Amino acid sequence: MSKVIERPRYVCALGGAIGTIQSLPRAIPILHSSSGCGGNLAGALSGASGYNGGNYCGGQALPSSNVSERDIVFGGEGRLQEQIENTLKVMDGDLYFVVTGCMVEMIGDNVHAVTKRFKGGDLPVLAAETVSFKGNSYYGYELVLETLFRDFVEKTTEKDAKTVNLWGVVPMQDVFWKGNLGVLKNLLKKLGIETNTFFGQGETLDNLKNAAKASLNIVVSDAYGIEAAKVFEEVHGVPYLTVQLPVGDHGTSRFLRTVGKTLGVDDIKIEKLIQEERKAYYPYLERLADVYNDLDFQRYATVVGDPNYTQALTRFLADDLGWLPELVVITDILAEEQKERVLATFGEYESGLRPEIVFDEDASSVGGYINRHWPQNQGQKYYKGFAPGVILGSVMERDTAEQFKVPLLSVTYPISNRVVLNRAYAGYTGGLTLAEDVLSLVVAHR
Amino acid sequence: MDYIKHKVPPVREDRLMACQAYGGTCGDLSRDSKKGCLYASKRTFSQTQGCQLNLSLGMISSMRDAVMVIHSPIGCGGNLIQNAGINKVFQKLRQESAVGLRWINTNLSEVDVISGGEAKLRQAVLKAEREFRPSAILVFNSCVPALIGDDIDGILDDLQKQVSAKIVPIHCEGFKTKIQATAYDSVYHGLIRNLVGEDNDSQPAVVRTPEEEAEHQAVISKTVNLLNVGSMSRIDEEELVRLLKALDLNVRILPSYSHPDDFVYAHEAALNVSICATHDDYFVEHFQQMYGIPYVMRTIPIGIANTNKWLRDIASFFGIEEQAEKLIAAETAELKQAIEPFKAELKGKTAFLTGGEVRILTTAELLHNLGFEILGLRGYHFDKYGEILLDEYLEDVPNSEKAIFNIGSGQVFEQANLLSKITPDLFVGHIGVNGSAAKQGYPIFPLFGQSDDYLGYKGVFEVAARVSRILKNPAFNKNLGSHTRLPYRDSWYEQDPFTYIDDSASVAARIG
Ligand code: SF4
Repeated sequence: MSKVIERPRYVCALGGAIGTIQSLPRAIPILHSSSGCGGNLAGALSGASGYNGGNYCGGQALPSSNVSERDIVFGGEGRLQEQIENTLKVMDGDLYFVVTGCMVEMIGDNVHAVTKRFKGGDLPVLAAETVSFKGNSYYGYELVLETLFRDFVEKTTEKDAKTVNLWGVVPMQDVFWKGNLGVLKNLLKKLGIETNTFFGQGETLDNLKNAAKASLNIVVSDAYGIEAAKVFEEVHGVPYLTVQLPVGDHGTSRFLRTVGKTLGVDDIKIEKLIQEERKAYYPYLERLADVYNDLDFQRYATVVGDPNYTQALTRFLADDLGWLPELVVITDILAEEQKERVLATFGEYESGLRPEIVFDEDASSVGGYINRHWPQNQGQKYYKGFAPGVILGSVMERDTAEQFKVPLLSVTYPISNRVVLNRAYAGYTGGLTLAEDVLSLVVAHR
Repeated sequence: MDYIKHKVPPVREDRLMACQAYGGTCGDLSRDSKKGCLYASKRTFSQTQGCQLNLSLGMISSMRDAVMVIHSPIGCGGNLIQNAGINKVFQKLRQESAVGLRWINTNLSEVDVISGGEAKLRQAVLKAEREFRPSAILVFNSCVPALIGDDIDGILDDLQKQVSAKIVPIHCEGFKTKIQATAYDSVYHGLIRNLVGEDNDSQPAVVRTPEEEAEHQAVISKTVNLLNVGSMSRIDEEELVRLLKALDLNVRILPSYSHPDDFVYAHEAALNVSICATHDDYFVEHFQQMYGIPYVMRTIPIGIANTNKWLRDIASFFGIEEQAEKLIAAETAELKQAIEPFKAELKGKTAFLTGGEVRILTTAELLHNLGFEILGLRGYHFDKYGEILLDEYLEDVPNSEKAIFNIGSGQVFEQANLLSKITPDLFVGHIGVNGSAAKQGYPIFPLFGQSDDYLGYKGVFEVAARVSRILKNPAFNKNLGSHTRLPYRDSWYEQDPFTYIDDSASVAARIG
């Protein structure tokens, strides 16, 4: 039996699907669900994602069949057909994507049969059964990608060795997704590689439509987007590689080496790029030489969040910043095999650090783990606890941070105490941004 | 009204014949509404809105010392996530030691859907008790458990024997109704059944001497329950309390941001004072029936005229009209002078308002008194309470028959179309639709806000000051207007904004 969850940091498959579709350029989600689902998810998608907003078609603009009790009794397919027809008339998009809520699944509406009637029309209408009780936001992301790869990406035998697709950075769940995608795309460009990220700045649906020309799919995650990569491989014959989200020098250099090698990029070229990037990176960190040491900027850290970020932040803190991120709490629902894959990403630290890693979905458990890792003061005179400490997590860690009197930087979802526009934490530049943000917290009280 | 015996309250479509799709003018609406033929209309194209569950959480998730259990797949209640880290600030305005939002989702999976979600519900309630020891556990029931037929009440009755927190079931499945306001009934239903009354007190009953009892009754005879709403700020509350105290009344504030214990003796009051029929009619009617407590519920104290009406209604109940008139005279004289400069500045400007029927009609009157011409209104829904207010509005505001009246929560495509045709100087909107109007370039005044005041006499001044400030530099939205695009085809703006409202049923009713 799955667990009940105290303050989950994700919504249902429907929510993940909506977030994914509305982040695609000019794509229009059509909800086949009861009237409340879209409104219920809006706050999670935009308000909790650094005030990401609804993009082109999100929030209350989402078309929705709004089925209610009557439709549930008589079936909602007729209503869906009418809704799709009228959506095509009113909403201005290049791709329409029907997603479903739990009720219509339970009453047995066949959305595929309905959307099929729109096949061959001027505008593409896709559908995925994003049934909420089958999985969370990440599952919805996965389902949408799978459907796009099967039904929207055009088949081709033509392959371009210098083009790749990249995903695994989940829009909205990665609050900095847009900026992060841009950074990764730019980095690969420096290796002479063109990247489709589908959701990135300046891309259009053509990037997606022509994605089968790519020679490699890069999944920047050990948990999300892998099933979709398997579908892509099966349908279009493009292999995939999973890599970790890179933040800072150590993470990003590993990223470049892994990706470069798989793509057959000359070693010398890769190392040259890494050297160049470091030449820009370390002079910035160099500015901190005095203050870092004069004021003793080293901190213990607890990192809380999804697998993509927790591994990236931990490596950055340990190897780039020389901190002691000794405790990591991963808050997602993961299958055993996913857990193993994820665990493997917390290793091989240059600094030799070995963080304690726990999997726990409940928000209020975090404090307990901190107490166990750095035992609490039982009134003893000589005592070493979680001090000086910092928490890198989400806004949900506010209370915990207050409890331990340590600063908190919200980097992982949900974030409602910061506004995020194009900020990125990925790559070398992202590492500098993260250093700025986290060290600013340390000096904020001065 | 006597629904409290039932496990669940009826939906507003049935109870109040509430309408959720209409397009016409204020005059049309007033006439059509009296024919009672509006409720059957529907939309053949619709956008998402919100459900009972969202609004129930909006109303009562702020309760202090409570844990919410959301019995559903993982997504329902998702809106809470955006408030997870920030709601505490508002709770603290009421109680320094407040802890902020806590909730547990039962995370129903496919297996649970097949074999029933009852075990998960038990787990969640016991976990809430064990981890947090709250005063109350509010259990919100969503679509899926309703469809699979979980015996929620049975399980919770049973669990109540095992936990010391008071368990409050709130049946608010989204698909049951398109009128979100049904949520208020669901919440009040649960609160009345499970928190109100001495038998719900965890403390032993108070024993009083006859003298003490007489004194106690004297206090009750001057005590009012002021029913606040989730959209009300602490400053709003303070303004209303100030006015009621000026009439020598004692005030108990319920239900948003309250503590579960606040309800136990809620029936020890002389009068229920509502500021919104949409929010409170279920509660006050039941309180009258069950405990013989009368109520005042005509209007919300927004704007001078409505604040005066509100105070007079209350005063007349207590027979202290004279005292009230003195207060009103003093307050209005001072206020009128203070807003004079704004009136000169705002004269002749035009406005469009959208949100709950009670709030928009009264806010429209306030703006009218500041010199605005009101071009149109969009109500979330419309029922008999709206009808009364609309008729008063038509009387108080000259030439208002021709103003547009559109009904529908969300449905921003209709709004976008309307705005492109009537181009007001100011847009006044409920949360959720303002971004859309902003992208069309309009200056926007939010209809309510957790950090600002709107109500009472102070509210009038503050609204005037903020509107004038907002109109002073609408550059941000102007920029958006010229550089962003709403997701509708150009052809949509050429059509009638009410194209997708299908009122054939009401037309048939009118003819037949
Ligand atoms: S409509 Fe039903 S499924 Fe959708 S959010 Fe509301 S309660 Fe959940």
